[in-house]
Amino acid sequence: MKRWLLNPILSGAAMTLLGAALSPTASAQDYQPGTAAANKLPPNPKPMPRTADGKPDLSGTWQAGGVSINGEPGAPPLHPLPPAPVRPPARQPIPYQDWADAKRKTFTVLDDPTSKCFLPGVPRIVGMPMPMEIVQTPGEVVILYESFRAWRRIPLNAKLQHPDDLTPTWMGDSVGRWEGDTLVVDVTGFNDKTWLGGMGTIHTEKLHVVERYKPINYDSILYEAAVEDPGALTKPWVTGSVLRRPIDVRVEEYECIENNPDNEHIQRAMELEKQKAKK
Amino acid sequence: MRRMFAAAFVACLWLPAAAPVWAHHSFAAEYDSKQLITLKGVITKVEWTNPHIYFYIDVKDANGEVTNWALEGYPPNTLKRTGLTRDNLKIGDEVTVTGYKAKDGTNTAAGREVTFSDGTKKFAGPIGQ
Repeated sequence: MKRWLLNPILSGAAMTLLGAALSPTASAQDYQPGTAAANKLPPNPKPMPRTADGKPDLSGTWQAGGVSINGEPGAPPLHPLPPAPVRPPARQPIPYQDWADAKRKTFTVLDDPTSKCFLPGVPRIVGMPMPMEIVQTPGEVVILYESFRAWRRIPLNAKLQHPDDLTPTWMGDSVGRWEGDTLVVDVTGFNDKTWLGGMGTIHTEKLHVVERYKPINYDSILYEAAVEDPGALTKPWVTGSVLRRPIDVRVEEYECIENNPDNEHIQRAMELEKQKAKK
Repeated sequence: MRRMFAAAFVACLWLPAAAPVWAHHSFAAEYDSKQLITLKGVITKVEWTNPHIYFYIDVKDANGEVTNWALEGYPPNTLKRTGLTRDNLKIGDEVTVTGYKAKDGTNTAAGREVTFSDGTKKFAGPIGQ
């Protein structure tokens, strides 16, 4: 991965969109929530709305995945969406430096900060199977996440200038700007306590993320995050997803620490495994 | 051929994005996806709580011995969106539940599908992985 991926303009130009060469096999009239017919709908022809100042209006509820919008394996969700005409970036392994790769292998699932209900950081929070709400104004975008009750303020400024008094935090400091129809968000000022996504995916306080929210149609945003960390990675890493506008969903409360005995069960299961291995 | 390609393409589009099944902890570390058990019993308690719900059922064995089982499910908001509401789980109702047994040896399982006395079936939690 080259440094151009962290250049918001160049990486945007390089993003590949797959056209949806689908012959419609079902009409909109066939659409019945909970039926397979909805799966056969063509992508939504309606474009993303625009604000009075001409920017794409991303306001509303969005979600990257989870059974509530994708359905159980082999079964449609209660409120199926037409397919998105775009795919997320292909999954890639995280290019770790040797020390970080060795260190991350010492972790277990019990070390996952989210298992203790800590904030997941960016970009991990975007992939959580719960909705988020984007609140957009001309000068600032705010994202309210259901998962872990997180929120992000994203003041917009052309120079992507961060405050100069940052102290490392779980979600970092976000600033954004519009590049054409794409909202570009620069995130820095992270602590080193979150995982990027997946077992032991550590990073340092040098973590820097450039997110791109590209509107595709009314119910699809292509989300790409270019992640660099000269302290732990050998080169930048790209991840992402397609954000969908779920039907009849609003962001609600998620008080993660309310009733969380899972780690106790996992701890006991691990001890049992160890005892079995000794015998 | 073109139709097959289109079908495959649609299937790809419908694959879930890179989102974990449970948002805050590992399923595989806690539950054994190879041990899908079926429990029939009476609901004794419902914890409609985050990050995951629990409901408890008294299961009577052939000798009349009663064991209380804890069943974990999706978060409350997810269940509301997939069609299982708090009102569906009534204390005193008899249900049949499939679930994946906990690896720690306790009478705990990850609830998968609940069959209510009228035959209605609803998912309570994810498929084993």
